[in-house]
Amino acid sequence: MFEKLPLSQPLACPRSCYAKCAWRREVVKDCESRMQHWKKVSGDYDTLNNRLKTLPDQLSYDITVPFGPLAFMPGKLVHTNEVTALLGDNWFAKVSAKQAQKIVSHRMKYMKNELDDLSKTAKDFEARVGLAEDLENISPGKGDYVDIREDARNIEAAVNKGRQRTAHKPNSKPKFDAMLDLKEENEENEEEAEDGGSRKCTITEEELWAKLDELEKLEQLEDEQDRLCDSADMNGEDTSSLSSEEEKDGDAAPSVNGLSLKPSRTSAPHSKAPPFTDRKPEGDDDEEEEGNRLPTIFFSHAMEPKKVRINTGKNTMLKFSERKEQKEHSKRKKKNGHSHHELHKITTPVDIYRLFVDVKNGEPIPRKSILKSRSRENSVCSDTSESSAADFEERRMVGRSFSHDEATHSDTSDGITEEDSPTAVPLHHASRFEAFSGTVVEKDPMPSAVPHLTIAPPALPTILERKQEEVAPDIAPPQEAPKRVSKFKAARLQQK
Amino acid sequence: MAEAIQKKLKGEVEKYSQMQKDVSKGVSARQKLETQLAENNIVKEELDLLDITNTVYKLIGPVLVKQDLDEAKATVTKRLEYINGEIQRYEALLKDLEKKSEQHREVLSSLQQEFQKAQGLAVGKV
Repeated sequence: MFEKLPLSQPLACPRSCYAKCAWRREVVKDCESRMQHWKKVSGDYDTLNNRLKTLPDQLSYDITVPFGPLAFMPGKLVHTNEVTALLGDNWFAKVSAKQAQKIVSHRMKYMKNELDDLSKTAKDFEARVGLAEDLENISPGKGDYVDIREDARNIEAAVNKGRQRTAHKPNSKPKFDAMLDLKEENEENEEEAEDGGSRKCTITEEELWAKLDELEKLEQLEDEQDRLCDSADMNGEDTSSLSSEEEKDGDAAPSVNGLSLKPSRTSAPHSKAPPFTDRKPEGDDDEEEEGNRLPTIFFSHAMEPKKVRINTGKNTMLKFSERKEQKEHSKRKKKNGHSHHELHKITTPVDIYRLFVDVKNGEPIPRKSILKSRSRENSVCSDTSESSAADFEERRMVGRSFSHDEATHSDTSDGITEEDSPTAVPLHHASRFEAFSGTVVEKDPMPSAVPHLTIAPPALPTILERKQEEVAPDIAPPQEAPKRVSKFKAARLQQK
Repeated sequence: MAEAIQKKLKGEVEKYSQMQKDVSKGVSARQKLETQLAENNIVKEELDLLDITNTVYKLIGPVLVKQDLDEAKATVTKRLEYINGEIQRYEALLKDLEKKSEQHREVLSSLQQEFQKAQGLAVGKV
């Protein structure tokens, strides 16, 4: 009767200990089972993650589809990058495999947290269980003996301590990379004596040596890392210095490798010049140089097609630009000293970058590819004031002088403009002969030059050129084509 | 005398066990809410991982009902709020029950003592 009543009977201390101990053991067991569960789930998620990684590799998979509980039939798995994920609480979402992976990793994180918590609580309770067991060991004897036993236990504990120390090394080793830590660990740990006792000193000595080796390796690694870091820094300096050297090379280029570099540079001025002149006619060349030096690599690419074109002699405009180049070369040579002064200010790529940005004042994206920027500048130049127009005209005059015949030149320009925009032809005629301030005049000749620079890739310049030519006649009236050809021929002949 | 006390005691014990049942019910409900809270938290976090291109469905009975992502998010947050409210409610309830059961225990122990006394008396008498 009394026993039935809960909590009515004051429990004896050992019994409560037992109860608590049992409860704690229960908790530990529960924790362990739950950990097991989570581990299983996380394994499942691992496999799922792997599957999701490889799933979108192919468009479809041949699979055997379970058809009812007994049969399978061959089928195909399609939409491999479409997954419907259950988010929980009956929420589903159609996601891509990548997003599904993100979700999976998110859940893995959650599970990891859960596992950590569980293992922590399990450890905690295990320790308590151990303590309780110790208490039980004491309590079964009579009260009188308890004290004596306690003494004995203490001795045991002391012995245990010693054992633990030796035993603990293997356990602690992987965790700590410093010997000091290891020692501290040994001193600290008094609890994990049970499994520690089995491992012997012999092992520990070996372990010690292994540990030492490990530490040595670590040290070496660290040294290497330090060195790497240093070298990386050095590299950074090197690159900067290199770039600056390149710049200097660029400065010196006109004299050093004039043939290859100069044209590349001048190819830009051909299109870039107008905006500069717009700013400051005197510093024209210097600024050009600065602007060009930065992208030398690109220009050298862009220039080659031009060269080819020149060789083919298909476009009088280009020929004329070549002349212009020559003219500018000479100009630059004259002004070289001055330009050098300006260039010396640029010691790092940053300076060049700034310059580049300055050049394209107001442009939000200074990093745009040079080809693009060029085209943009062209458009700018078309908007620009008369000074640029005048400059251009001046150049044109030069070109004319080279082309020997004004009439042919005007004809050629007409042909080109018509090529590019047949509808604008009448405007051209009018504006060209009336005044140079007209924006249309600027615009049309420039675009005709721009496409050559922008479109023609370095690899197959001639082919593209031809394409352009081929496309152009389609748009333009057929009469123009023969005219042009004859002009070229005439120009070539004249040159010869 | 002893009989009467015993009857009373029995009744009290029954009440008390009923109360314990309530407590355990409350605890389990609370646990359920806790798991739901965790689940919905995960859902919320995972909904945040998605963008507008993803379609979200809610399984209602046997059908998947298409839902707007923002709507789904709002729903989930509402649900989280609700669950939190429920948890708080259960917390209060459990506290109340605990207090009551404590009182009940005291009553029981006193009754038991009385009963013991009465029985002892009876035994002594006998």
